[in-house]
Amino acid sequence: MWNKNRLKRSSILGVMVACSGLFQCLFGQAQEAASISDGIKFFETKIRPVLVDHCYRCHSAEGQGVKGGLSVESREALTIGGETGPAIVPSNLDESILWNAINYRDLQMPPKQRLPREVIEDFRTWILMGAPDPRVGSTKVIKSTVSSEDIAKGKDFWAFKKPVVQSLAVSDVAGWATTEIDRLILAKLEEQGLEPALDADSNTILRRLYFDLIGLPPSPDEIVRFRGAWQKNADAAIAAVVDSLLERPQFGERWGRHWLDVARYAESTGKEVDMTFPHAWRYRNYVIDAFNQDKPYDQFVREQVAGDLLPAKDDADWAEHLIATGFLAIGPKALIEQNPRQFQADLVDEQIDVTTRVILGISVACARCHDHKFDPIPQTDYYALAGIFQSAETLYGGVRSQRNRQPSNLIILPIDAPNPGDVAISTAELASLKQQLKEREADYIEARRAQRAPSPSNGKPGTDPRRSFVNAAIIEQQVVQLANKINSVDEQGRPLTFCMGVQESSVAKNARLLVRGEIDQPAQEVPRGFVQVLCSEEIRLDPQTSGRLEFANWLVSRENPLTARVMANRVWQHLLGQAIVRESENFGVSGPGPTHPELLDYLAVRLMDYHWSIKKLVREIATSRAYRISSKHEPSRFEKDPENLYIARANPRRLDAEAMRDSMLVASGQLDLSRPKASQIATYGSTIIGPTGPMVIPPGLLAAMSTEGKGGPQAMLNMMRPGMLASNINVFDSRSYYRSVYLPVARNALPRALDVFDFAEPSMVVGQRESSNTADQALFMLNNTFVLEQSDALARRILREATSDEEQIARAFLIAFGRQATNDELKASREFFRKIGPKISDRRRDEQAFLMLSQFCQALICSAEFRFVN
Amino acid sequence: MVSTLSLPTISRREVLRSVSSGFGYLAFAVLNQATVARAESRNPLAPKTPHFPAKAKRIIFLCMQGGPSHVDTFDYKPKLAIDSGKSGKFGGSRLMASPWDFRQHGESGLWISELFPEVSKHADDLCLIRSMYCDQPIHARSMTQMHTGNAQFVRPSLGAWTLYGLGTENESMPGFIALNPPAASAQNFGSAFLPAIYQGTKVGRPQQRRGGMYRATSGSSPQMPDLSNARVSKAAQREQLNFIQELNHQKLERDEYQPGVEGVIESYELAFRMQDVLPSLMDLSDESEQALEMYGIDGSDSDEFGRQCLLARRFVESGVRFVEITHGNWDHHQRLKTQLPENCKQTDKPIAGLLADLKQRGLLDDTLVVWGGEFGRTPDAQNGDGRDHNNKGYTIWMAGGGVKGGMSYGATDEHGYQAVEDKCHIHDWHATMLHLMGIDHEKLTYRYAGRDFRLTDVYGTVIDKIIA
Repeated sequence: MWNKNRLKRSSILGVMVACSGLFQCLFGQAQEAASISDGIKFFETKIRPVLVDHCYRCHSAEGQGVKGGLSVESREALTIGGETGPAIVPSNLDESILWNAINYRDLQMPPKQRLPREVIEDFRTWILMGAPDPRVGSTKVIKSTVSSEDIAKGKDFWAFKKPVVQSLAVSDVAGWATTEIDRLILAKLEEQGLEPALDADSNTILRRLYFDLIGLPPSPDEIVRFRGAWQKNADAAIAAVVDSLLERPQFGERWGRHWLDVARYAESTGKEVDMTFPHAWRYRNYVIDAFNQDKPYDQFVREQVAGDLLPAKDDADWAEHLIATGFLAIGPKALIEQNPRQFQADLVDEQIDVTTRVILGISVACARCHDHKFDPIPQTDYYALAGIFQSAETLYGGVRSQRNRQPSNLIILPIDAPNPGDVAISTAELASLKQQLKEREADYIEARRAQRAPSPSNGKPGTDPRRSFVNAAIIEQQVVQLANKINSVDEQGRPLTFCMGVQESSVAKNARLLVRGEIDQPAQEVPRGFVQVLCSEEIRLDPQTSGRLEFANWLVSRENPLTARVMANRVWQHLLGQAIVRESENFGVSGPGPTHPELLDYLAVRLMDYHWSIKKLVREIATSRAYRISSKHEPSRFEKDPENLYIARANPRRLDAEAMRDSMLVASGQLDLSRPKASQIATYGSTIIGPTGPMVIPPGLLAAMSTEGKGGPQAMLNMMRPGMLASNINVFDSRSYYRSVYLPVARNALPRALDVFDFAEPSMVVGQRESSNTADQALFMLNNTFVLEQSDALARRILREATSDEEQIARAFLIAFGRQATNDELKASREFFRKIGPKISDRRRDEQAFLMLSQFCQALICSAEFRFVN
Repeated sequence: MVSTLSLPTISRREVLRSVSSGFGYLAFAVLNQATVARAESRNPLAPKTPHFPAKAKRIIFLCMQGGPSHVDTFDYKPKLAIDSGKSGKFGGSRLMASPWDFRQHGESGLWISELFPEVSKHADDLCLIRSMYCDQPIHARSMTQMHTGNAQFVRPSLGAWTLYGLGTENESMPGFIALNPPAASAQNFGSAFLPAIYQGTKVGRPQQRRGGMYRATSGSSPQMPDLSNARVSKAAQREQLNFIQELNHQKLERDEYQPGVEGVIESYELAFRMQDVLPSLMDLSDESEQALEMYGIDGSDSDEFGRQCLLARRFVESGVRFVEITHGNWDHHQRLKTQLPENCKQTDKPIAGLLADLKQRGLLDDTLVVWGGEFGRTPDAQNGDGRDHNNKGYTIWMAGGGVKGGMSYGATDEHGYQAVEDKCHIHDWHATMLHLMGIDHEKLTYRYAGRDFRLTDVYGTVIDKIIA
């Protein structure tokens, strides 16, 4: 048995090596506290004037801003402090960063000139007397405009009531409906005077099933087999295919990706400084595996929101739970943010936003600054949730640097499966690296000082500021790289296994409501709690716990009116091409509402009755009659319902980015269905990528610098990861034949093959992808190396699998379109070959003939038939 | 005199046939006047006669994403300086004076802040609309409303409507180009229910948020990848494309109606033509040093946006109807004092260069240059030295293309919170721009699902006062 507490403590690794030990200085103990009125008098005469004259300019809202996140305008602001921690800890000089700063220890404040000795002594006296400060405002209390009656009344809104199964009357003269789903669809159609379209043909159905369930096209053999079975018994044939597809590992890759879309999965922070998340891929695999194992959706949600707090039966189980909490950690982050409180508030906000929109289909984050504009969600509800989330520490990695001002730790997993590239080193090497790190840190501080120091000649900063800047930047990168390396191994030099995620803080703390969401305007404390309008009874949380586990359980309780509906709506949308609630993240009052409320409730209740089995729900929908209808255009049907709200016909759909790329690889026979080890980004380690990545150092400067200093820039360059130096190349367009779900997802550098076909923007919750047809896509299809390579491979495959010209053509159509070519298509193909055919005199005709065939194959891949599912 | 547009007389399917087998071939074959004339009558992108004589023939929209602060740039509020530190109109945060000086410029004496020293020199060409307002306080929705008039439903964008109404003067180029658009903004350049051929074509990598000091200094022009094929000749590729399009048309015949397939057909033709003209059009190496200098293309902070402005000029000169350039990061919730000047520095010289260049080429008279973001910012402070979103009142300016120069239209209240005088809603702004392009916004309609849709829905009033 493992000891949870022990492991939890030891599982957090101090990654911020570079900034430890900077504020260690020892002074005498606090003297006895002076009387309060004397203290205030002392403050007013000795301290306040100094703050106003020397600090306000940079550290007040009045002046040039709140530099380093520090305001000196109130007692509270001083004790909260800024980027580096509390400026004043009453009676404690060691912990008061302001004291260190005015003594020019590391921080040097005021920067231009030290305060006179006697003023510094005044500060010592003041801090030791407990830093009396009359600038204490009374706590504001923001009263919500949403009353408890509003909330009670709000519960009458359809989405905030529990789903209830209701059947609808249908006449169904034709005996069309075979399932309850069909009856609920047909009822609406009859109401609108519409008739469902005929069933699609067997090829279309099979293609639909394959793409919808596993994101890949059926093979020619599978097509033939299915047709035979379909002719005997269509229902049985479909059921059999659905069952077999649900068992394939490709199901999880397809449906896991849908979840990754809403979970805004990515492997870097995005925003101004795009730092890699080299361990994010573990969360990706967790999601894929969860769908493949048919992990009950309630458990799936529980693990992602509170996996770290769930019981586990062994280390592997526990590791899985920890990885699941990556859901809360993989969001975009503004590492450039100087103010740690702002950063923390934004981080919690992002967690609230994602959790509520993805799981509940409502936007609680709207209530960060004010009561929700549409739904009965008071601002206090937001801060009740904020208390829950802020009582956890979010761990995503990184090392502090000029660009990364907000690094964090990572979670060490209780398993031995380190990232590729994280290898063991000897203890001697480790010791040497630590020594180097120490030296580089010292060099760095020196370089920064040199940058700031006035040059003797003109009293201005160093004569060549850029040079010292570059110096500092290069040394800093060395520090970062060394720290990364050291942090990747344990004391014995053995590589550690990490994941991103959350860990409960030692103390659970309520949040204070922020006026207009502004961090410098805290109002009353709000007890931790959930979204009231969704609670059937009042929630009472144990004050000793954060409430996150209770929150996770509440999310997936049968009492929660939204969770099952929201997920059922997503499942329906992925199979039918349109959602019942068309804005899948907005089930609130401002949303469009359901087109089929009874169907939505039916599916939601079914999902819960299936013990939250996604596979069972998918199966039920995919085997319905409604899923099977044709997309054929019929004018009268179209005019009655142009948006196809009532689903009298199927929606033709363009393949999404992954299906498009994977289908090309299937056609070419090159798709590698195995799962890659980790991700390309894992091999990069923790680094900053893209245009803001490590500096591009001009060669001249490099040469000039290589003669000075220790280590030298060349050594530095050797330490950089491959592909990091060029600013304009997307290193992620590399050749790889794994399924697209395994391509690297750096927020600011998506692989073109995905980006061009409307891949889900990884910084946003994307419930519905766009589906455009652009010239950029056309250029990609006509000219991109990847497409040309797949066309060649398809041509080679055709040559292997068929001999005569006619057979080759037929085979190519069968592979690319999943059906026989029509006569018109064959005619057009012959015409194409006739027109571009090599002349007999052409000596290179073998080569020419192959190129022709490749061009022909490319044309099939380029065509709309390949790109659409009817 | 009002004449109706000629477009709706041809059917959607005719449009498609003509796109692929009509001028698609022509782009490849040697152009012959007679065939061009024949193709034009059916070509959905052929130039069309406007409703009335147009003042502007093309638009360059400089979209400042994030919501630039109007009270620090183009909306001079002396009372804000006086009341700085006092509680604002809505309580809570205190008013914050603009940290920058405003001065009068040009003969017109327009007040503009010191953040735009170069643009200020063109004060007499600028028409400031200081009374803009829109319905959405949130970025994504407000951007969508700014582009399509409607934040709720997917609707065609302004550029798509313009292209639909007027066609293009160069069929080898997209009629509507979005340069470095923000990520995930396809809808804002989309054609929605209009035929897909009217949607914006993205050129360049998506606009990304970047940190200030670590940006690679050597500027790079927007790129368009996959513009050429090293393996096959143009003629061979055209044959291949004919075959692809034949397959696509057969699919369309089978499916009868499929906007997606229509979109594919159109996109291939456009892509094929773009291969011919885009590489040389996007190659700035033939520009003189003086020209580059004028746009601030000098490796400095303005390099990147300068390149985009120069490209925009080259695009409109080649006949592109609507060019939009996005410049991001104007969302200054904090660090306004350091970040806003940075944004202005990146854009000031390029914009001034663009205006000067258009002028010297005689293009400014019939090119409408528009500058603005999805909303403005509050006069009160947020997070110390930031400003919050403000959709109730902000400034957009226009230049050239038939607007009065040196003009200030409308006003916000004394501090800049709300538009109070001659208020101009997004719909009014759209109506006015279409009007300048010779289009009656009430007559530019498209029938979809049994209803006539227009950009301005049932709203919109042309601001006559700003028309020269």
